[in-house]
Amino acid sequence: MTSLATAEGHFTATNGYLLVLAVMLPVCAVLAMLALGPRHTARVALGTLAVGLAVAVTIAVELFRSGTGLVYAIGGWSPPLGLTLRADGLSAVMLVMTAVVITAAGLFARAQHGLDPAMRDGRAPTTFWILLMAIWSALNVVFLGEDLFNLYVALELLTFAAVPLVCLDGRAETVAAALRYLMFALLGSLLYLLGTALLYGRFGTLDLQMLSGMQASGPVVSVALALMIVGLLAKAALFPLHLWLPPAHAGAPAAASAVLSALVIKAPVFLILRLVLDVAPPEAARLAGQCLAILGGASILFCSVMALTQARLKLMIAYSTVAQIGYLFIVFPLAAGTEDLPVWGTIAWTGGALQLVSHALAKASMFLAAGVIAEALGHDRIAELGGFGRVLPMSAAAFGLAGLSLMGIPPSGGFVAKCLLLTAAVVNGHPWLAATILIGGLLAAGYVFRVVDRALATPAAPLHLRKAIPRRLEIVALALAIAAVLLGFVPLQPFGFLQIGRAAHVTVVAP
Amino acid sequence: MSIQGLLLPASILLPLAMALFCLSRNFRAKVPFLIVIAPLPALLAAVFAPDGTVVFFPPPFRLSLVLDRPGAVLLGGAALLWSAAGAYTASYMGHEPSAPRFAVWWLLTLAGSLGLFIVGDVANFYLLFTLASLAAFGLIVHEQTERAHRASRVYVVLALLGEAFLLLAFVMLAASHPDANPLIRDVVATLPASPMRNGIVALLVLGFALKMGLVPLHVWLPLAHPAAPMPASAVLSGVVVKAGVIGLIRFLPFDAGLPFWGPVLMTLGLITAYYGVAVGITQTRAKTILAYSTVSQMGLIAVLLGVGLATAEAGSTNLVAYYAVHHTLVKGALFLAVGILAATGGPRLRPVFLLTAILALSLGGMPLTSGALAKLATKPMLGYGFLSLAMALAGAGSTLLMLHFLITVAGDMKRDPGSRAPLGQIGPWLVAALASLVIPWSLYPGLTGEPLTSLLTPEALWKVTWPMLLGGVAMLIVRRLPWLSGSIPEGDIVVLAEAGEPAIRRVVTGITLADDHLRRWSTAGLWLIGLVVLFGATLMLQN
Amino acid sequence: MTAALTPTTLFGLGGAALVGIGLFMVITHPSLLRRVVGFNLIGAGIFLVFGVIARRGAAAGFAGDPVPQALVITGIVVAFSATALAVALLRRLFDLTGRRDFDSEAPSASQSRGEP
Repeated sequence: MTSLATAEGHFTATNGYLLVLAVMLPVCAVLAMLALGPRHTARVALGTLAVGLAVAVTIAVELFRSGTGLVYAIGGWSPPLGLTLRADGLSAVMLVMTAVVITAAGLFARAQHGLDPAMRDGRAPTTFWILLMAIWSALNVVFLGEDLFNLYVALELLTFAAVPLVCLDGRAETVAAALRYLMFALLGSLLYLLGTALLYGRFGTLDLQMLSGMQASGPVVSVALALMIVGLLAKAALFPLHLWLPPAHAGAPAAASAVLSALVIKAPVFLILRLVLDVAPPEAARLAGQCLAILGGASILFCSVMALTQARLKLMIAYSTVAQIGYLFIVFPLAAGTEDLPVWGTIAWTGGALQLVSHALAKASMFLAAGVIAEALGHDRIAELGGFGRVLPMSAAAFGLAGLSLMGIPPSGGFVAKCLLLTAAVVNGHPWLAATILIGGLLAAGYVFRVVDRALATPAAPLHLRKAIPRRLEIVALALAIAAVLLGFVPLQPFGFLQIGRAAHVTVVAP
Repeated sequence: MSIQGLLLPASILLPLAMALFCLSRNFRAKVPFLIVIAPLPALLAAVFAPDGTVVFFPPPFRLSLVLDRPGAVLLGGAALLWSAAGAYTASYMGHEPSAPRFAVWWLLTLAGSLGLFIVGDVANFYLLFTLASLAAFGLIVHEQTERAHRASRVYVVLALLGEAFLLLAFVMLAASHPDANPLIRDVVATLPASPMRNGIVALLVLGFALKMGLVPLHVWLPLAHPAAPMPASAVLSGVVVKAGVIGLIRFLPFDAGLPFWGPVLMTLGLITAYYGVAVGITQTRAKTILAYSTVSQMGLIAVLLGVGLATAEAGSTNLVAYYAVHHTLVKGALFLAVGILAATGGPRLRPVFLLTAILALSLGGMPLTSGALAKLATKPMLGYGFLSLAMALAGAGSTLLMLHFLITVAGDMKRDPGSRAPLGQIGPWLVAALASLVIPWSLYPGLTGEPLTSLLTPEALWKVTWPMLLGGVAMLIVRRLPWLSGSIPEGDIVVLAEAGEPAIRRVVTGITLADDHLRRWSTAGLWLIGLVVLFGATLMLQN
Repeated sequence: MTAALTPTTLFGLGGAALVGIGLFMVITHPSLLRRVVGFNLIGAGIFLVFGVIARRGAAAGFAGDPVPQALVITGIVVAFSATALAVALLRRLFDLTGRRDFDSEAPSASQSRGEP
């Protein structure tokens, strides 16, 4: 949107410029890549990755230090007419997570492109880097944006950058998968846009903070929210709207799959979270939350079984993504706040955030490990992977460790997340959700073990590698998996950082 | 922190550190010969650290270690067996290329299973329990035969099911507690008054019974234990099943008692004790017979736990631990003996077989062996009524099963007079066997408060002898029933469960078809509109 | 009744009709090109709704709110890019396979099964 272009040069006295930097840096990188040509893309990208990671971490540190949210009003115009960028605890966590996963995917892609001298400066790598940077910028806008239309543009930018990534190799089935993805995502964004129009017509503002302060209610709000939430669900590929995800995520190159599965589908989920918790009237949010939880639970059970039946590794991981996304939706009824305990002070809220982050790390690691396997063996048919643990020990370890997090086995971020959600389910009296969490964990264990069992098996004929796999390719996946495991050491209680910038907004915007 | 205090964390950290060092290629080649020292800190801790030693690690580890009487008894016996079996492993497979891999799983299982005896907080108990359960998968699947794969599949499914039960139970236990990771004894103290008491106890019993192999959750045990390599079978059957025992000891409120759940455990235990014997005598493989004997013995331990729970006798856990350590050492030594007997021939065979026979009959309660001591130590708990009789008959059953084992193993023996088991295997076996004969004697006065001379009275001797004689008579009868042999497949009712596979397959096919349908463009589009209407209606309802 | 049929209402109904027709096309027509047209119809309908909102002056209070118009312009740019991307992909798919739709064969995972 135009706001992105005018943002430059309006650095204000506060540290708000960091937010602009987080959004603009990847955009500048795209421009630089286009200007400098294919020979320099990788170098520009790697430089941007380092700076972008530093910016994300600085924002988080700044938030931690000051204990309040960071706000930047673009061009000094304040809402309802102007646009703001705003980082609270949750968005800072998302920024750092995004930066980490994108960096990992970038390093992996760099090592993978290096394997094939013909590929080094070719068209596909250049396209990949440009799209990766575009995705990064769009994600940062989604996590920082406050204006619903601004967010619509960011979501569209995200889709337009993600769709070509799916069909980067140009084969017919990936093009078909990309088209299917694009079309369903478009359907979702149009619903979202219609909702935005209705909300604007009712309130004359699209700023989330102001809407939240207006205690919006009434039939228009209901219809608008229904349109927006379902539109976002289509983009998040929650069951039963997951038609596009398995072929798209399974068909993309490994580094792209990692970014798509770990980050891109989290953006709409993040927005649903904000819509339901910030904009929807509390009583309405409760019932809508129940519906979302039912869909989430169905997603966990149904797609975990589907993951179990897949013959191909990447399809299995893709179905597992749909299943794991379900956990984020069962947070809604569990995180029901009370008078003195706001939603973001509950353990379920922390559990949900932790699930989001640990899934991102674990899933990225799994896709990268699967990429190594496909690169080394030339296929990813699970039945024929017997003994890959011997020839690719680091990738097998990465897969196993990431699997721990997906299964919710200690010590791992996934375990702490599921433990917190389970505790919330028990305390709030949701036995069905508790059962769903546990059964989902068992099914996840089933599909992870199918692969681990193959990794440890002795093959009838020894596996032979199609090409030598350099260590730096494997180590990226392992590092992400270890990070997912280390998340298991955060305390089993509501996490203060996530509340930064949350509690304050009620007083700031109250009319 | 005192030296004794340092031993406790070292018992977990040393094996974990050794597993970590396996990343180095040099260390990896040597590790099969070093696993013998991994359990030594635990052994030293069990012997030298005083009861009641507490070690606490501050956040982010939040690990608390507590050594109490039953924990120390079990820890000592388990560490000894781990060490002996580790030494046996070095000779048994040390130079095979797959040995380092085996050693890594071994070290992880070891760390988990020993840690369980000393860990004091809920979260780390679950962590170590999981570590022991999942790492054991690597031991079971190690030989990579079709049998091992099937066994490990069944094992993993049931182990994870157990984990799920336990996780829910722990979460329900800790939910009412202000601390996110409370001490086990704190939450157990609140258990009898908890509104969710019965749910929690049911889940705990399910989870730990799965680990112990109580009927009908025992199906994995006779498949998994024999499928593993010899030393792994010894520790799986000797130590790893005790994770269930220590779990019940730790998490059930023996101070307050649970009048309903005590009899439940007793019933489960008695059924298991008899069932294990009944199915065991139809088996034809020595290791499987031993596995069924483990099932049966775990049943007896469950009866003892049930009695302790019903009578609210806090001291009963000591006696349960005593019985369990007897089983740990004897069963471990017996599994090792199967390997030794298979490799021995000629004149050396006789003493080896004799010692094996003593070990085997010790499980039936042969006078002066640890089995007799364990039975006499726990007799007073049982009283003199029906339960005591039932337990004595179970002892007869054990004798019967062990005689069947001896006959089977005698039939399998090599006739080649020249063959002999390597010293590296005989040594550890002798250590484990002698420990099983000696250690229970040394623990007896301290745990029961009775002098050793009370064991030698004719009355005491008769108490343990008549069930053995009965078992011998039963053996004569069983020998006349040749159709028994091999009439029940290994893992008995798992075969029934596996017969349900087509039904599961149908469900899965149904789900796949549904998914194909849902992923059609028009279906998904209609769902999209349907969801908009649904969400609109729900949001509207509230306004 | 006449009071209800102001130009705003009429345009609102028109927008709703366009969205409805577009949705119907997108969901029921297997031909991909028609779906792209359908998307544009939905988009046009939504822009019309924005126009109505601008005409009504929204909640901002003054007649002829300019903000929705700014939004519509941005929206049109986005819709244009979406259409361009969709048509490019469609073209590519047609070049590769000669297919104009993807529901003619089952959309199951078997489509790409067995291939890396």
